[in-house]
Amino acid sequence: MKLGFRNKIYLGFFSLLLIQGLVIFFWASQVMKISLLEEIKNRGISIGINLSARMVEPMLAMDFLRMKVLVDETVELGDDIFYTFVLDRDDTPLIHTFKEGFPIALKTANHVLDNQKVSVQLIDTGDQLIYDYAVPVFINDSRLGTLRLGLFQTRAEQAVNKILISVIITIILAIFVAGIVGTLLLNPVTKSIKKLYDSSEQALRGNLDVRTAPMLKKNCWNLMQCHQKNCPAYKNYHHRCWYMAGTLCPTCVEGEYAKKIDSCRQCQVYKRFSGDEIQSLAESFDAMILSLKGNLSDLKAAESILNEQKTLLQIILDAIPDFISLQDHEGRYISVNRAFYKMLNKNKEEIIGKVNYDLFSRVQAELYNKEDKTVLETRIPLVKENRVAGQKGIKWLHVVKIPVLETEDRVRGLVCSGRDITELKIVQEQLTQAQKMESVGRLAAGVAHEINTPLGIILGYAQLLLEDVEKDGQIYKDVAIIAKQTKLCSKIVADLLNFSRSTQRNITQFNINDAIKEVLSMIEHTFSLNHVIVKHEYDKNPLLMRGDKEKLKQVFINLLNNAFDAIEENGSIIVNTGTGDTQDEIKISISDTGCGISKDNIRNIFEPFYTTKGPDQGTGLGLSVTFGIIKEHNGTIKAYSPPLSGNKKNGGTQFIVELPSSLNTKKGERNG
Amino acid sequence: MKYVWMILLCFSLFPGCGEDGSAIKVDLTKKELVILKEEPDVITYAYLPQYSHTVSHTRHHSLIQYLRKETGLNIKQIFPDTFDEHMKMVGRKKIDISFSNPFIYVKIAKRYGANAFARIVEVNGKESFRGQIISRMDNASIQTLSDCRNKSWIAVDSTSAGGYLYPLGHFFDHGITKKDFQEIAFAPGPGGKQEKVVLSVYAGKYDIGTIREGTLDVVADKINVKNIKIISMTDPYPGWVYAARKNLDKKIVEKIQQALEKLDFNHKQHREILEAANFIKVITSSDSDFDEVRKLADKVGMNLEE
Repeated sequence: MKLGFRNKIYLGFFSLLLIQGLVIFFWASQVMKISLLEEIKNRGISIGINLSARMVEPMLAMDFLRMKVLVDETVELGDDIFYTFVLDRDDTPLIHTFKEGFPIALKTANHVLDNQKVSVQLIDTGDQLIYDYAVPVFINDSRLGTLRLGLFQTRAEQAVNKILISVIITIILAIFVAGIVGTLLLNPVTKSIKKLYDSSEQALRGNLDVRTAPMLKKNCWNLMQCHQKNCPAYKNYHHRCWYMAGTLCPTCVEGEYAKKIDSCRQCQVYKRFSGDEIQSLAESFDAMILSLKGNLSDLKAAESILNEQKTLLQIILDAIPDFISLQDHEGRYISVNRAFYKMLNKNKEEIIGKVNYDLFSRVQAELYNKEDKTVLETRIPLVKENRVAGQKGIKWLHVVKIPVLETEDRVRGLVCSGRDITELKIVQEQLTQAQKMESVGRLAAGVAHEINTPLGIILGYAQLLLEDVEKDGQIYKDVAIIAKQTKLCSKIVADLLNFSRSTQRNITQFNINDAIKEVLSMIEHTFSLNHVIVKHEYDKNPLLMRGDKEKLKQVFINLLNNAFDAIEENGSIIVNTGTGDTQDEIKISISDTGCGISKDNIRNIFEPFYTTKGPDQGTGLGLSVTFGIIKEHNGTIKAYSPPLSGNKKNGGTQFIVELPSSLNTKKGERNG
Repeated sequence: MKYVWMILLCFSLFPGCGEDGSAIKVDLTKKELVILKEEPDVITYAYLPQYSHTVSHTRHHSLIQYLRKETGLNIKQIFPDTFDEHMKMVGRKKIDISFSNPFIYVKIAKRYGANAFARIVEVNGKESFRGQIISRMDNASIQTLSDCRNKSWIAVDSTSAGGYLYPLGHFFDHGITKKDFQEIAFAPGPGGKQEKVVLSVYAGKYDIGTIREGTLDVVADKINVKNIKIISMTDPYPGWVYAARKNLDKKIVEKIQQALEKLDFNHKQHREILEAANFIKVITSSDSDFDEVRKLADKVGMNLEE
């Protein structure tokens, strides 16, 4: 179990006291014991010498009573005195304190010479150890006898032990008292530190509403007789004024603690109310927490804004269809956008921190590394187009690699941006093709224009010849063929001219239903001859639009003719008109029950000179012309085979033309 | 914690520092009763305990050794505690040779038949000695003998010659009787009574004291005698006397008397003996030499039988 600060202090405190006590006990007590035993020995000597001196008179007087009284009194001096006796010059006992006879062996146990002051001998009686003192009794130079005194060594040691016990008890009491005093002194300190710790813990857990210092009892506004309620220190019982910024005291310096504290130290409020180090620590901690709380609040707001900006930036980056990546100077990916990791078919987390070798094939990685290294070293951006063959086919990527400079001398990393330009490439190809077709068209138109006159001459002369020759003859038939083929050539030439030459536009507002009705009236009879029925459903409301009515009628004729050609015999053509998804659009549907168009062919039907009809039946320009007219009117035309509506098993084709209504046109004009 | 245990271990390694030394074995179970055996043919010599036994021993030890050698007798000094005991021991034949003041002598002569055979010559060459009446030097109320009236008086002993009898006669001759004193006390306890009188006056417990001539020299090593003043001196009376107990063999008495009288102050070894004994010569004496003392006792109303 870990010890707390208070327990450590107490443990240290008591350990010190204990060690001190043990030092005193083991060292000082030994010294004391030796001194005490020495003292006891000296006491024996002192008693012996003293008694010896006092024994002179009674010995001279042979006053046994006085001698007896003296030896008895001496024995009664203390429990440690075992015996006292007096020997005369012949070592005959004169008097003694033994109640039941004098122990003979004791007489010779200790001898003191005339020139000795005292002789001390340790005697072992079997039960006790006794210090025996022999002191000569002198009167002038004449020795009267010997005084003997016996002190219990055991009792002396008991006395010493009693003192040692007293020392131990005193030490224990001293430790106890010191402990109590120490506790009384330490308690406020450890309590304050505990409170500081708790507050710090709370602060670390995020609770910054902690109060470590006790509520302030002496306050600046009382001392200064201040009534400035706007002052942040006024009636603030938890924070000292010198820790607070923006206090309104006239003597205060503006600013934070660091700026004002030097001035505050001269203020009588500080001088009188600042506490000891612990209280100051608690108060400064509270102030620090308060400041931290404010700073954290600002930081959180900044972080929130930063996060918002970061999210927005990421959203923008992710919304960009181009893939974007940021690598550090070692080629490690720091940030990528959604397009990037989608392109690699990985998660963002699988890419961050990785290098090219982790993400691409070895060959690709080596190529990219080489490019990256060149850009980082030369600091010249790299622009290139990559042709990438993948599972979804061939893709074209436009890649730009730009070095990111941290300082003028240091490159931080590399930004790589790439764009999928496959569609653009296709359009470019289509454009090229269109430009080629345009050239061909122009050439064809020129040729057509040039051959139109000779054709007219050939046809004129052929018709003249037909009038001149017999109708049943072979010549007539041959000339008739020449005329017919010439007309066909004229038709081709006319179509070429229509396709390549922009004729003058005659824009009017008309009802599309009327245009369709006019067309149907022309062709319905012809169609019916081949048992092709035209069904029509017009919108109840007039579908007004602005445009070239004649050109649009040409569109409907082309579409109806195509339908008729597809049916050949016994079929129906359905014509529907109405509004589109919005009221601004006009939707015209022409569907047939014909042979339909294959999926491969349907992609190319709007291309010039593309036809599935026989050599004598079509030029391949009809739908191209139709497409051109619809585009000219800002509309769209789509072909579906089989049709979207109706029984799909029956086959057939449906063309849906969407044109802007006059309302939209008006808007467009108005806007334009 | 391991440091604490290390410290404790260090302390535990301290051996007991006691010094037991080597004890000898003594069997206390074998016991005997103490019986003092009286030495045969011992001539006991006692010095009246006017001073402590130590002083008595110091003064007469060399003399005893001299007498033992000179007479061939087994002479041994004994030390009665009080004047009264001294007298009674003479009566009980415990003291063969008594060296006492004249007042004691006349008492033991009357009571127990002691017989004077020699007396001393004082250090001042006189065969007699005087008593002294003393007080503290700073006691301004006592300047003359008559100032001693209504004062407290400490005397040596009721049987003292120089310390009581002679001063009492001196007061009597000057019209001052026992009744004139506020208090008459005697020095307490055994031995050393002369010194105790001086010390009592010196301490201020009593206004005046009476001692024999020469006592102040004895206590000079204990107190500053300049603080003591002598108010008056008594008339001289016969000095200290050697007396033999009743029925002591005359040959023995003669041997001792001769040996004593043989002491010569001019003889180097004798001089040391005599200086220690505080007299310069021993001369022959007889009982009649002390009649003057008997008269004085009678004058002051003292009964020698008491």
